[in-house]
Amino acid sequence: MASQAWSSRINWAGLSVCALMLLVWEASVRLKFIAFEFFPAPSSILSGAVRLAREGILLEDLSHTLLSIAMGWTIAMVIGVSIGLLLGFSPVARKFGLASVEVLRPMPGIAFAPLGLLLFGFSLQTELVVTVLPAIWPVMINTMGGIANVHPRLTDVGRTLRLSPTEIVRHLLLPAALPSIVVGARISLGLALVMAIVAEIVGNPAGLGYGIVREQQAMNPDLMFAYIAVVGVLGIILNAGVLALTTALWPASSRVAA
Amino acid sequence: MKVLAEPDFVFECRSASVTLPLNGGARPIISDINLDVREAEFLSIVGPSGTGKTTLVRMLGGLLRPTAGEVRVKGEILNGPPEGVVIVFQDYANALLQWRTVAANVAFGIERKLSSKECAARVSAALDLVGLSKRADDYPWQLSGGMQQRVQIARALALRPAVMLMDEPFAALDAMTKAGLQDELLRLRDQTQTSFVFITHDIEEAVYLGDRVAVLKGSPGRIDEIVRVELPSPRDQISTRQMPEFLAYRYGLHKAIGHG
Repeated sequence: MASQAWSSRINWAGLSVCALMLLVWEASVRLKFIAFEFFPAPSSILSGAVRLAREGILLEDLSHTLLSIAMGWTIAMVIGVSIGLLLGFSPVARKFGLASVEVLRPMPGIAFAPLGLLLFGFSLQTELVVTVLPAIWPVMINTMGGIANVHPRLTDVGRTLRLSPTEIVRHLLLPAALPSIVVGARISLGLALVMAIVAEIVGNPAGLGYGIVREQQAMNPDLMFAYIAVVGVLGIILNAGVLALTTALWPASSRVAA
Repeated sequence: MKVLAEPDFVFECRSASVTLPLNGGARPIISDINLDVREAEFLSIVGPSGTGKTTLVRMLGGLLRPTAGEVRVKGEILNGPPEGVVIVFQDYANALLQWRTVAANVAFGIERKLSSKECAARVSAALDLVGLSKRADDYPWQLSGGMQQRVQIARALALRPAVMLMDEPFAALDAMTKAGLQDELLRLRDQTQTSFVFITHDIEEAVYLGDRVAVLKGSPGRIDEIVRVELPSPRDQISTRQMPEFLAYRYGLHKAIGHG
């Protein structure tokens, strides 16, 4: 039953289009329809990835990038959720703080890379500066909106059932805002991945992002594409992981037909 | 009709008024409300929109303080939501906890006060009363509107309240669901001896359900008239509604509200 449900959830039609594209790509390179020496066939990208994995360097780069995403995302979550809760619960905080949020939010995080380099040199800290700053906003804004948009009726319900104000926050407002906070957390995670790769390309010479640059400079397009593919797969896995975790922890927050 | 030797009042309102701040000014919403609610009584309050029906229910439920006059619950001056009094809201979808199952919603008002065993017993009793035992593990969004409103009623019943305040609870439901739930309420009153204060804009519903019907009228809203309904119990959707007396009450209340 379970495996049947699992296989029926896979979008076979969509996947077959992806497979077809890979096939056309492979054929075009082999039949020399694409005569561009830095554009390898999918098969040589795959064998390049296997080679990197065998040498152990892929795992090393992957763990560095994962560590930097995990740290950056965690810091962004802590800051974003706390300030988001403050802004969500307190109209006074919104009145005084929202303008600053709107001024700071559009600033591209990568613009702070030179500052990070000045402060921390080519290091993980620089990477974190670039990763954390942009990743704060989605989870902060969604947390604030989630709290502020809880229907006032839920507070009425809490009061008529004689809950204390703290119980109302804990048992009604936070759970009601949770789906919105989770959405923000997912967007932040995606951003943390992107920014970690960017930081590794322009700043810290380590991880998957640096791997792309290193293999580009070494004129190994198959290895360069292998790194790009790994970054793509990592994005898919991280997003699916957060979704699966959310569904496991709070089944009701994912409203798929049961 | 029940005859009460010495009526025990659960609610006593003495010239109670509520004035709310609106657009910088203060707008009186309800004014000079004198109203008693007796034990195990079904009191309907009927009135056109804009007469402060919801404000009245929120005041009785302790969500709003009277700005003048006083409200007593079992002799005590009302000060915040009183024990044994619970409001059932019109908008059931907003009032239910969408992330909890039906059973967990019903448990919400009692789970912090009772042992888990006692809580489970009360939840299943309340779900039995509203006929939702089979849907205990579903989520609210998997139920029809009528069922969701029954979940809210069950959540209120699980508290074993002395008074249920209902703010147009069936306004969003279709006629057939509504008729079924009306009969359920009357049955619940007989089984549990709970007092009901039932707000509606539907005159026929007010007469069908009520032992008494209070008419709220004007702006600010005042209790214009209280009619005692002397119809035989148990009431029946078909025969009660075509009794000449039912039609006479209906006619009288339409007149009192100012129709025709």
